[in-house]
Amino acid sequence: MSTETEPCCQTPKLGLTYGALLLRLWLAVRAIQTGIEKYAGTSVSDQPVKMDGAANSYGLSAASSVKEYAMSHYHGVPAGLMDKFKAEPLMRSYSLGSFTLDPLKIYDVVLGPTLLVLGVMLLLGIATRTSLFLQGLLYISLTWGLILIKQDDGVSWLGVHLVLIVMALALADHNRFAILKKW
Amino acid sequence: MNQPSSSLSRRDFLSKTTAGVGAGLVLGAPTILRAAEAGSSDKIHVALCGMGKQGRVLFEAMSNIPGLHFQAVCDIWEYNRQSGVAKVNALQGHKPTAYSDIDEMLATEKGLDAVVVATPDFWHSPHTVKCLEAGLNVYCEKMMSNTIDGARAMVKAMEKSGKLCQIGHQRRSNPRYRFVLDQLINGNKICGQIVNINAQWNRAVNSSRDIAFSPKLIIKQDILEKYGFKNMSQFMNWRTYRDLSGGPISDLGAHQIDIFNWFLGATPKSVFASGGRDFFKEREHFDNVMAIFDYDTPQGGVRAFYQVLTTTSAGGGYWESFMGTEGNIKMSEQTAYTTLFREDSAPSWDPLVERGYLKKKAALPKPAANSGAIASYESKPPEGFELPGDLPMVKTASGNSPKPPHQPHLENFFAAVASKGAVKLNCDARHAFLSEAPIYYVNPSALSHQPIQFTPEHLSV
Repeated sequence: MSTETEPCCQTPKLGLTYGALLLRLWLAVRAIQTGIEKYAGTSVSDQPVKMDGAANSYGLSAASSVKEYAMSHYHGVPAGLMDKFKAEPLMRSYSLGSFTLDPLKIYDVVLGPTLLVLGVMLLLGIATRTSLFLQGLLYISLTWGLILIKQDDGVSWLGVHLVLIVMALALADHNRFAILKKW
Repeated sequence: MNQPSSSLSRRDFLSKTTAGVGAGLVLGAPTILRAAEAGSSDKIHVALCGMGKQGRVLFEAMSNIPGLHFQAVCDIWEYNRQSGVAKVNALQGHKPTAYSDIDEMLATEKGLDAVVVATPDFWHSPHTVKCLEAGLNVYCEKMMSNTIDGARAMVKAMEKSGKLCQIGHQRRSNPRYRFVLDQLINGNKICGQIVNINAQWNRAVNSSRDIAFSPKLIIKQDILEKYGFKNMSQFMNWRTYRDLSGGPISDLGAHQIDIFNWFLGATPKSVFASGGRDFFKEREHFDNVMAIFDYDTPQGGVRAFYQVLTTTSAGGGYWESFMGTEGNIKMSEQTAYTTLFREDSAPSWDPLVERGYLKKKAALPKPAANSGAIASYESKPPEGFELPGDLPMVKTASGNSPKPPHQPHLENFFAAVASKGAVKLNCDARHAFLSEAPIYYVNPSALSHQPIQFTPEHLSV
């Protein structure tokens, strides 16, 4: 009987490696691009309307908006949701002497950078298990917020993300191409 | 200096208004005003008389205009006065002098160039006349006055003083309106013969209710009486009293009926109106008014129907629709309400689209093919178009937004002031009077249930 690994058994292992890489890549792209979109906004440009090939003399303008990325456009929590969160009693700010703790404001500030950092860690394979775990916690925090404002579709959507993270953790032993394999 | 001819006929006032001003001057206004921005001695020194709701609207529009220095604020209500001072302070970094009485302001303030009057209608004429007689240029909100004699006094004071007096019919400086009149109606005659006009301002009950006030902010009774108000409620809701305003037909209708006269280049020969206190039964003025004006124009007869309803917003806001044999232009200050339709039998407007004068809208849905015998009496659905542009964007605290609708008219006024009249006003008191005069007869017609045939005495200064 041969002690070498049978060719038939190598295929499932390679498949699991591919699976781990695909999941890692998907979750990384999802987090990175979501983080980048937090810096997206529109710039409105205003051009005089051309009539007979020249700028009109009446001062009529045509505005067009272009999507762009800039630090000044940063919005961790979308404005539409922010107003709903502010109305939630569990989201209120706390006064600690002369210091006011506003969890919503803090969350708004850190959400975008956190998504970017965790996404890049996952992409490069830096402490993959830990970065997956932290990303899972982040999605749980988002889920809690959406439960508060009764966004059930969003809760389900984030639940799918969490299942993917759990699957990625389950496949972590098959992870390859990682800069820091520890943790 | 603006010195309109006192012999201006009713028929040709449009052509003089349009041709005399010239579209380029609308563009030229900010340039002239930027030149005035260079040094404080070159700035136009402005007093704000009346800092209520409309005064604040005008101030917001003026805050985008370079070269202005707001020197004084005048309002009998401390709440408005202090609010005005705070707004000016926030804009220019120092407080204007605050006054509760215009006579005191005019006697005290030195170096003023212009006054912006946004007081209640029955004070427009006395305040404007005082300022003109004091040698100041005046921008006064429409309606010129609550009485036609008050409006006449304003025209006479403007012409006697030789100072500028612009009336706040702001559509006259709106690039969209000017373009439509010059290029589409007169230039390319896309309407063909205009045969009817239909316009409305329909406002919901909740937007028309009496304005409440805090008891803590009540003006002292002797002050109220000194300035013509019986009590604080009347001060807050002066628009609903016959002695203080012309009611909804002048408050809202004057803007749009002005456009009838401006676009047709004529004043009406008669008016027949109906009105009632249908919901606000305790009010002195009618809450709903409908009026039909008859015109004789060089093209032929035109009937113009106008309704102002302060009891329902049904019917889609406020707009003016110019209906011709070849096309229809539905105009509004709101871009969303503006649409142009070409009759199926009219010459194609595609060349105008290619030249950039119009934009084509998506085709309207076709009616069902088997809609019965009635369909044979219907016209084919007209082709829809829209204007190619809007007012330019300005930077505001909340980002970029279209220039406020009053700003071009104020720019025109201040450009005229800065140029000492070289830039002509788009709506001086005489032209405004010719346009407003028929409106003073709407309420009398509705009250008497009789049409009123206009004579030169009705409509002349």
